[in-house]
Amino acid sequence: MIVAAGGVLAYFFLGVMGIVTGRGRLGGALAILAGVVSLGLWAPGFPEGLLGDPPWGIPLVGDTLALAFWSFIPLVHAAVWWSERRRPSAFHGLVTLLVGTCMATVLSRDLFNMYVAMELGSLLSFLLIGYDARARAVWASLQYLILATVGMILYLFGVGLLYGTLGTLSLSRIADLSPDFSQPTLAVGIGLLVAGTAVKAGVFLVGLWLPAAYGEAPAGVATLLAGLVGKMGIVVLARLSEALPVGMVVAALGVFTALGGLLYAIWERDLKMFLAYQVVAHIGYMLIAFGLGGPAFLGGILYVVAHCLFKGLLFQSAGQAVEAVGERDIGALAGKLPRPAAWGLAFGTGAIVGLPPLAGFVGKEYIGAFIPPPFSWLTVVFAVGVAAAFVKLVPLFRATSSEGDWGSMGLLAAGVMGLSAWGMASVPHVWTMDAVAKALGAVVAGCGLHFLLRRTSPRLPTVTMDRISVAIVIGAAVIPLALLLRG
Amino acid sequence: MEGLTAALMAIALAGLGLWTLIRRRNAIWKLLGLNVASGGSILFLVGVAHRPEARPPILGMGPGPAADPLPQALVLTAIVIHFATLALSLVYVIFLTERRHTQDVPRLERPRRRK
Repeated sequence: MIVAAGGVLAYFFLGVMGIVTGRGRLGGALAILAGVVSLGLWAPGFPEGLLGDPPWGIPLVGDTLALAFWSFIPLVHAAVWWSERRRPSAFHGLVTLLVGTCMATVLSRDLFNMYVAMELGSLLSFLLIGYDARARAVWASLQYLILATVGMILYLFGVGLLYGTLGTLSLSRIADLSPDFSQPTLAVGIGLLVAGTAVKAGVFLVGLWLPAAYGEAPAGVATLLAGLVGKMGIVVLARLSEALPVGMVVAALGVFTALGGLLYAIWERDLKMFLAYQVVAHIGYMLIAFGLGGPAFLGGILYVVAHCLFKGLLFQSAGQAVEAVGERDIGALAGKLPRPAAWGLAFGTGAIVGLPPLAGFVGKEYIGAFIPPPFSWLTVVFAVGVAAAFVKLVPLFRATSSEGDWGSMGLLAAGVMGLSAWGMASVPHVWTMDAVAKALGAVVAGCGLHFLLRRTSPRLPTVTMDRISVAIVIGAAVIPLALLLRG
Repeated sequence: MEGLTAALMAIALAGLGLWTLIRRRNAIWKLLGLNVASGGSILFLVGVAHRPEARPPILGMGPGPAADPLPQALVLTAIVIHFATLALSLVYVIFLTERRHTQDVPRLERPRRRK
């Protein structure tokens, strides 16, 4: 535990030193090294330990979820480091700090510590999204910070109610007390915790700050957000559903998010916004897995890691393409892409629609096996919907110029391939003819659906800040009420 | 009783702040609403720490029961975070005012024109 905490502290120290001394790039490289060494030392995991003295120490646990995150964090950081290597020192210092915050979040089991980590993550990503000082990116990041802060205010109310009733902030001690919803303060408090975290996690309607923020961020920052930082809210929701009986609420939010995200993704024509709506849809799928718990939880972890790697790859490619061509519309980009971006998009698309040997397939099948029968239609709808949405990227796969940057693309693609190989070796039972046929069938059905829907363009309600804020207030009323009624 | 009063006032403050955040179109008003709401959350945590007949949780303040020190420690952290949030958002609002010449949120989020 000391080693893991030391790794996080090394990250923070190197990040701050990078900003102060003007050697951010060196600091970032050293931090990646420190992260790898620290992981190597605590590798199989560690039981819960307290950082500080008994009654008020911060509980840290190195469980499978933490281990899974730590094992690919250095890779994503290295990819971002390489793709943004020409940036000034302060940028790299901020990236290092942000990655360190994520490493701390996945270890923590303390409600307030997670709050601090999430807020720090919001503030740092806020600075990075608007780093290029383009007015649209600055607005997107301001909207993100305001809405995330509203979510965190709800979370603080939840922390207060929980602490007032149970007298502890440690999630494992709360789990030992096995709270139920018969006490109204507890039901409302837990509901507010879930509602507040849902805003930060990017749940449909309350978290729709996400597409604008991801879509407007510079290439490397979008890679970092999609490949790591955006998953922090999900980690916290997973932790909450481990310790508290809110699994079904989280899973229901997941279903809603998966379908809503797909609905917006299918007709979106802006490349980066399209990928961002796909992030929303996949967040829903992960929440289903984490909410169901038990064996599906492990599938959720596998899917989060796979999604981080291939969505990072997709955002990196899309960012390079948009910056090289100067267009954002998928139709306008077709046939103008540099080769690394086109190949990265092609490979990432193959992985995300779940073509059999690649990582998306293993993750989807693994979760799908544990979804209870009345909802198994969801996996089919989801797979077909994702394929239908991604078919429109096919015209982008033909490259025209060969210049471009292979470095970060190669790193992330190697990550996807490594995970696929690992999945093939260690989860052999998903490799049935049935599953492979189903995955290929979903892709073919998706192509068909794409051609059916190609000519339609329904007017979906536009996403505005006021509408999201109203949705947050409604969510903060509905979720606690639902828990109250169950108690 | 004081604890309950503080909690009710905290909820009222948060509601007032969120109302301002939703109803006002101006970005600075929205930030002010956000700050009032975060003040509500801080007051709520202080209310949670309340115990009847308690003195402030400071060493050497005399005998008798003390208020719960943990929520007060949390509040210090939360205040710092809210301060940082407000300061950084105001910097971005100033930037947007200079660049787009408006603080009107519906105008700031108008979608880009298709080419």
